[in-house]
Amino acid sequence: MGSTLEILNKVIGVLLERYVSLFGFARPLLSLIPVSVLAGAGLLWVFRKTSNPVSILSTKKRLQAHLLEMRLYGEEPVVVWRALKALLWDNLRYLRLMLRPALFATLPMILLLIHLDRFYGRAPLPVGRAAMVTVRLRQPIDVSIPAPVLHAPPGIIVETPAVRVLSARSIQWRLRPLRNVSGRLRLVFPWGKLEKDIEAGTPRHILSARRVRSTADLLWHPGEPRLGSDAVDWVEVNYPPASLRLAGFNLHWLVIFVVTSTLSALLLKGRFGVVL
Amino acid sequence: MSRPGLPRWVSHLIVALLLFQASCARLPGRAGNRRMIVLGVDGMDALPNLDRLRQQGSFQRLATTIPPQSPVAWSTVITGMDPGGHGIYDFVHRDPATRMPFSSMAETAEPGRSLTIGPFVFPLTGGQVRSLRRGRAFWQILAEDGVPGTIVRMPANFPPAESKARSLAGMGTPDMRGTFGTFTYFTGDPQEQTRQVPGGRIVRVNVSNYQVELPIDGPVNTFRKERPRASCPLVVHLDPSEPVARLDIGETQVLLKEGEWSGWQRAEFPLIPGLRQASGIFRVYLRGVRPVFRLYVSPVNIDPEDPELPISTPSPYSRELARAVGLFYTQGIAEDTAAVRAGVLSHEEFLAQSRLVMMESLRLFQYELEHFETGLLFHYFSSIDQNSHILWEKYDGELLEIYRAIDRAVGRAREKMGEDGTLLVLSDHGFSSFRRAVHLNTWLLRENFLALDEPQNTGNEELFAHVDWSRTQAYALGLNGLYLNLAGREPGGIVLPGPQSDDLERRLTERLLEFRDPETGDAVVGEVYSPRKLFHGSSLEQAPDLIVGYERGYRASWQTALGAVPAAVIENNTEAWIGDHCIAAKYVPGVLFANRKARLADPQLYDVTVTILKEFGISPAGGMIGRPIY
Repeated sequence: MGSTLEILNKVIGVLLERYVSLFGFARPLLSLIPVSVLAGAGLLWVFRKTSNPVSILSTKKRLQAHLLEMRLYGEEPVVVWRALKALLWDNLRYLRLMLRPALFATLPMILLLIHLDRFYGRAPLPVGRAAMVTVRLRQPIDVSIPAPVLHAPPGIIVETPAVRVLSARSIQWRLRPLRNVSGRLRLVFPWGKLEKDIEAGTPRHILSARRVRSTADLLWHPGEPRLGSDAVDWVEVNYPPASLRLAGFNLHWLVIFVVTSTLSALLLKGRFGVVL
Repeated sequence: MSRPGLPRWVSHLIVALLLFQASCARLPGRAGNRRMIVLGVDGMDALPNLDRLRQQGSFQRLATTIPPQSPVAWSTVITGMDPGGHGIYDFVHRDPATRMPFSSMAETAEPGRSLTIGPFVFPLTGGQVRSLRRGRAFWQILAEDGVPGTIVRMPANFPPAESKARSLAGMGTPDMRGTFGTFTYFTGDPQEQTRQVPGGRIVRVNVSNYQVELPIDGPVNTFRKERPRASCPLVVHLDPSEPVARLDIGETQVLLKEGEWSGWQRAEFPLIPGLRQASGIFRVYLRGVRPVFRLYVSPVNIDPEDPELPISTPSPYSRELARAVGLFYTQGIAEDTAAVRAGVLSHEEFLAQSRLVMMESLRLFQYELEHFETGLLFHYFSSIDQNSHILWEKYDGELLEIYRAIDRAVGRAREKMGEDGTLLVLSDHGFSSFRRAVHLNTWLLRENFLALDEPQNTGNEELFAHVDWSRTQAYALGLNGLYLNLAGREPGGIVLPGPQSDDLERRLTERLLEFRDPETGDAVVGEVYSPRKLFHGSSLEQAPDLIVGYERGYRASWQTALGAVPAAVIENNTEAWIGDHCIAAKYVPGVLFANRKARLADPQLYDVTVTILKEFGISPAGGMIGRPIY
């Protein structure tokens, strides 16, 4: 299961990298619009394959009929009450009809969002600004064992020795990129070594903030293969959040993604023969 | 020109440059496009690298105010009036009804009406922070005439005077505790005890399992009946063997090595849970991890991005500055001389902290300079003044570095102005050494002008703890103020106004001028001034009855400033604060550099105000007593 997810993550990662490179890494807004439209279209395709448009249409018509009934017979409490009950019932029926396609769309959409967030949601470490690397251990810290040593690639300096925070089972370092760097951190423990990708200064990059040990975590942190050690839960670089500039505003990429994919789905639903 | 302490070549350069005063006065440009930059450099005596400005225009001594204290002097620059007009006579005034000191610059009024629900108090009317300075600020007058102005960190301008000008409050702006700056020093030293020190608190803490939780105190929570101080936790995790720690402030984590300063950290102080909180900013300095944990926490400053009190006009201006140049000290006096006096910061650590202050000030200056087009730009630099208090005559090289940094800022202003517009660089006073601390209340005791309940009750207890007012004719408070215990003004006052008080003032003046240092035989007091005879205007109600101008090397002791009566009359000043200017005004004039040739031979601080207005074709306002310098 773990290796299958690793392979899937790798494939999605490569595809995403190829895709954003078409637009140049420095122009994320340009690449986000098409992928949002495609996501909207993809949702419509899933809906077409998994929904029952006839039932949805008839339910929608019944909902409209009940609303009309309430408006026309507003002075008849018994009719209005009956229409309200029917309206509630048909609403539930509508939700049930939407549930099946929504369930089919959820997994691919979550995977897509997690991967897109690696590019659009985080920025590489700014050059000249301090950043932090954190290692979370599985077991409580044994202070009698020497602290691990962090080796950064050229262009990044490690400014502090390891800080072992006993209550959090974590070990942290402060580092500072001096120039653009795309490399790997090397953590040397008494029992072995670990590595972690790090990016600094480059305009945009597909990032992996956290490298994890468990398969479950791999779903949420898909950027790198699982850690080989049982002693460490995860290793993380605190990349700063990124935003996209649109019409003078800094917006979270998800806002642009949701608006664009929703609009495109509404515009294209007729072509896909989807009833929403 | 040469003063002890500065290198000889500086003195030679200044003398040589004086001989080269060039006559480069220019006609001002058209009224609509006039440009003027005024740099206020507190405490500057002379700058070594202003030769070009001096050659181009003029360099003069600028007579300071009586007393030569910054709030007094800058209030004079702001209003064009002497203390009789603007009403500021010292850092502190006293309430004659209680003889208790209070800030001379601003006061806070509580909300008039409030609604109490359970433990909470909800104000129904707004509270108010009010400047105690009288008179109109020159940039208010400029703004009314349509002259754009930017006034950055003007002292004695808290809350900032309402106007269309962009202004950021300076000296007098409190920290989040409502003081002029209260640091906190957390220490695990078993020899230490939790205690208050001037300008700060020392707090003894216990580190347990390499972790300690420290309360960062913020404002008094006026939304709660019992008015506790709002607090936010700072959790420190110490590495078990390395000299390094992690600090957790809310969601923010900071790693610091021993001997490192943090950047600005934001503290959110809860006032009403989930509804109302106050934001402040602070820096920390990790002095030690082991064997003893020691952490300095700066005063919690008002957050310029979300200010709890008015610190700028228009109010979003401080946010604009913070977003442009980063967070910055907003408290009026940011260099933490109190911490170095208390031994909480070493000499080098203080210099590092004051460098942080100066870099922020220079960033603010650079930002405003880049955006300056027309009108007036005023920027105040505090670094020379505050560092001179600690470095004067003993650490000339370090002080010279600060002079040079300010000099570079002057150079940038010259470049910006080019050939048109006026550039003024002025300081409000000079400096002198502070070798001997005068306990003026003790002198009054010895001279039988002041009496104690028991003769042996001398000591450092403040606020006239043991003074017998039924036998006291005069008392000292503040750094230069001397007050009569006047019947009808002070409760239980015994000196009758009129001939009796006049005679007492005369006798006090005579005795003060005869006052000799028992150790050296030198005169202690150079001049004694009578505000009612000296000043113009009607704002005399807070004026001391006499202002004492000390001789060089002498100054009122810290105990005198807060109404203590120690045993000795004069003591050696053994503190880190070794330079001062609260002496006779004739010894500590300021300086004035300009790119224009001066017409006045003896300019005063209040002449600067009239000169600024004239630059823009505006007549002096009522009450202004100055003359145009150019």
